[in-house]
Amino acid sequence: MPGQQSVQTICPFCGVGCGMNLLVDHQESVVGVSPQSDHPISKGKLCAKGWSTPFAIEPGDRLKHPLIRTPNGFRAASWEEALEVICFGLEDIITRLGPDAVGVISSARASNEDNYAAQKFARAVLGTNNVDHCARICHSPTVAGLKQTLGSGAMTNSAADIDQADVIVVWGSDATENHAILGGHIIEAKLRGATLIVVDPRRTRLAKLADLHLQVRSGSNILLANALLHEIYRHGWQDQAFLDARCEGAEALAEAVADCSPSRLSEAIGVPASQIQTLARIYGQAGNAMIFYGMGITQFVSGTFNVMALANLALSCGQMGRPGTGVNPLRGQNNVQGACDMGCLPNVYPGYQDVADPAARQRISDYWQCLVPNRTGLTSMGMTRAALRGVFKGMILFGEDPVVTDPDQNEVLASLKALDLLVVAELTMTETASHAHVVLPAASFAEKNGTFTNCERRVQLVHQAIPPVGESRGDWQWLGAIARRLGSKALDWTDSQAVFDEMAAITPNYSGMTYPKLARHHGLQWPCNETAPDGTALLHQTSFPIGRARLIPVHHVDIDEPADGDYPLQLTTNRLHFHYGCGSMSRKSPLLERETPDGILFINPLDAQSLGLRDHSAVGVRSRRGYLETRAILTDDLPPGLVSMPYHFHEAPSNQLTNRAMDPISKMPELKVCAVRVCPLPEGQQPRPIQAILAQTSGSDPQETSG
Amino acid sequence: MMAYFLTDLAELTRHLGRTRQIWQHDARQDWFQTDATTPSPLVAGRPARSAKGFFFAEQEHVFEFDGRYFRETLPRPKPFALIGVSSCDLVALAYQDQFFADDPHYQARRQQGLLVGLECTTPCTHGFCPTVDAGPGARAGTADLVLHPLDDGWLLTATSTQGEDSLRGLSLAAASECAQQLRDKQLADCEQQFPDDHHIVEGARRLNAGEIAEDLWQHLGIQCLSCSGCTSLCPTCSCYGVQDQSSEQTISRRRFWDSCLYDGFQREASQHNPSADAGARVQRFWYHKFSDDFRQDFGRYGCVGCGRCEVTCPGVIGVHSVMKRICHE
Ligand code: SF4
Ligand code: SF4
Ligand code: SF4
Repeated sequence: MPGQQSVQTICPFCGVGCGMNLLVDHQESVVGVSPQSDHPISKGKLCAKGWSTPFAIEPGDRLKHPLIRTPNGFRAASWEEALEVICFGLEDIITRLGPDAVGVISSARASNEDNYAAQKFARAVLGTNNVDHCARICHSPTVAGLKQTLGSGAMTNSAADIDQADVIVVWGSDATENHAILGGHIIEAKLRGATLIVVDPRRTRLAKLADLHLQVRSGSNILLANALLHEIYRHGWQDQAFLDARCEGAEALAEAVADCSPSRLSEAIGVPASQIQTLARIYGQAGNAMIFYGMGITQFVSGTFNVMALANLALSCGQMGRPGTGVNPLRGQNNVQGACDMGCLPNVYPGYQDVADPAARQRISDYWQCLVPNRTGLTSMGMTRAALRGVFKGMILFGEDPVVTDPDQNEVLASLKALDLLVVAELTMTETASHAHVVLPAASFAEKNGTFTNCERRVQLVHQAIPPVGESRGDWQWLGAIARRLGSKALDWTDSQAVFDEMAAITPNYSGMTYPKLARHHGLQWPCNETAPDGTALLHQTSFPIGRARLIPVHHVDIDEPADGDYPLQLTTNRLHFHYGCGSMSRKSPLLERETPDGILFINPLDAQSLGLRDHSAVGVRSRRGYLETRAILTDDLPPGLVSMPYHFHEAPSNQLTNRAMDPISKMPELKVCAVRVCPLPEGQQPRPIQAILAQTSGSDPQETSG
Repeated sequence: MMAYFLTDLAELTRHLGRTRQIWQHDARQDWFQTDATTPSPLVAGRPARSAKGFFFAEQEHVFEFDGRYFRETLPRPKPFALIGVSSCDLVALAYQDQFFADDPHYQARRQQGLLVGLECTTPCTHGFCPTVDAGPGARAGTADLVLHPLDDGWLLTATSTQGEDSLRGLSLAAASECAQQLRDKQLADCEQQFPDDHHIVEGARRLNAGEIAEDLWQHLGIQCLSCSGCTSLCPTCSCYGVQDQSSEQTISRRRFWDSCLYDGFQREASQHNPSADAGARVQRFWYHKFSDDFRQDFGRYGCVGCGRCEVTCPGVIGVHSVMKRICHE
């Protein structure tokens, strides 16, 4: 029977932020979902993940009370005990090594209120700017790149704009897998007559539906953007009036791309010059053209430059500031935008106020009534490295599973083992949590009130539908409990609305928002302030936050690890519609779990043939950093020479293999491409899960080594 | 079949509410349980979800095994009435009644439920019930009570014994001939207002004649994201999956709505999959809704024309989109 009540909330899975109702039965459990037909983005639709929400949060394997590590494994503990262990550990490390030896990793899955609390906890209670979250590994280059060129690191337009685009360019994003409902809008636009162009090394679903697919070589984004610019300036397709009125640097850019002709670069890009010319013509002459991009742009050592290259393209053609235009990053997690906005980044306070700016520091210090630190903190990977060097000793982490989702798994594991105190708050026992000293049970999104900010900057209310499972608590609540024990009142709020109000008062883009106003409007898009009381659907209409936009020429950067004789195949990563992040939520659905293929190495039939592989053959995959086993799935969606793995699966984590080489500006690791070697396993041998392989190599578990 | 005139709907709701839980829907919210003493106004048309979940639960436990005994976990709901079920959803429930005729879980709930239909006087967006003989007037034998809005009250028709019994104790005047005529006129007017849906009729014809190119199914298959939205919301879909869950002492089996659009729906342990390609899955779905073969088994098409799949399909292959493509390509 549908629920006794139906509670309006927002899908917890991705940055699209679809509206859903949770149906709650008489036993206070969530038994179903239904899509909100009047929601401005999802309009009565949900994707497979959204539909599976009741499974994702069901109590079965949820953590129900705090756990403390003992020599014989975890034991259940009271909150009191757990808090005592945590506070003792934190105080001890801070006394010995100072506050910069501890840090917080917050979660792009948690609410704005939780994220605001996390960074305030780090800054006001611990006294460090060591606070970060997973945007580092999805869209930090977006923030860095768009901030420099446009002055604001977010999606420039709105989902609703897709209706008004004449040309849609989807670049390095498989939008129907990870942002399915937005991907659906793109399909709709294509069917109504918009021209759809896809730039991707893989033949994605949208590529199959597109008017033109440029199946480029991995890592050639800047070459392609520059070749397009070359054509555009050569033919005079640039929007000179827009450039003159609103941008600077156009001349230098035109000069910089003068030698980037499609015919010269086409081989390096991997597509015929004619395709590049066609794309340049279509984009350069379009009425309204909208660019969407994803991790196929950001997860490179050239991530920030890639983003800037796309901005150059849009600005040159004046595709900015009108409906159906812009540069639009598709952000992965439901609240990655919000986690950035809240200042869960080591270099900015809430609202992107620079920690290095003395005025900002003064403002925040006055408001919080304590002196906040001004040294830029460590990124998540900085914390990992510092831990390996022995100068970083305590980490509080929630709603993330870096052991599965971060590059170079073995290094992450080693760094976690070097910590004196690792506190993990989670819904269920994840790989990372299993290495913690203290595990705290966290409340799911259905168990709390708060807000999420979707990829189009829309801040939306999430409503509590059921009581917290077991003794679990919301993140801002348990962070507050630790703070109180450490003698701080900084996190003493009565409810989530009080957290929001405090945050909105010092976060300029949110200053015009309140809970009642959000409820009235189906959410509000930032900036929402005195001049834009009803929010802003469209950024940069008449000016940029930095005045004039900057065209900054960028040059090709080689990928860090090209294929070579030893590691002859290039590995890229992808996502599956059915799964999300580390899989800890989506894999609880028996239906979605059934959709998981039995192997997850996607490979072109030609490559498979030369390796002697058939569909579903067991394979070993090795890179310079690690090794795993899985099965091969043959598909011509990938070109020969390129193999691909989704990263959701802890038994065969692609991050055993991925490369840590980083974009120097944003510190984004090059997750999108590294070199691997694939070899068939002997006939009859099953692929072993990574846990067994690691146990065997380290010899730590003699029982498993014999198996 | 008795027809009455009802001035105040609240009177009926209060009456039924004495012995039953009352559920209604408003256009935005979904079904919700209402306080029968102060009922909210009725809204005609199709709620986001049909009424099927009241009887065929989205997920439920079917039995438990404690190591020695199997225990069936039959639901025991209190009596309830659904007020305002649209004609298409009533037809769909009658269809489900056939499918689940021997299913104790479905029947345990069904026996406790009183269906009060509400006839539409204006077409809903994407709806095409007249074309598939499912509305806008309630079809015979699908409801217990049927409401039809009149200018100054309601025409209330008892269409089953259970419905007639449920009115006992309520003093009601018989409906005038004129009220009956007004109903017929309003329903006829409503039917007139439905937009042209020639593509549905022609699409169904081509589908049954096997005139659809394989290519088209392949192309439509690319657009299916396997979200399960259509099968969740379609009032006549009835597939379920099962899973055994073991805890310390017991093993319990649950079942949940499944979707034939999932790749894994028919995949066997050997990895063999008779419908591994998305085009074939989309084709099968539409075959189930419009094939003459099923018409023979169930006495009607599997589609009741509610239009929900058109609203909810992110891949733009709901009923109108598919049928138009079939006709135009
Ligand atoms: S598209 Fe994203 S927000 Fe929408 S239902 Fe799917 S996972 Fe949820
Ligand atoms: S196929 Fe579509 S229109 Fe027909 S009954 Fe199902 S949901 Fe309604
Ligand atoms: S609603 Fe559309 S996309 Fe979703 S499963 Fe059905 S046909 Fe496929």
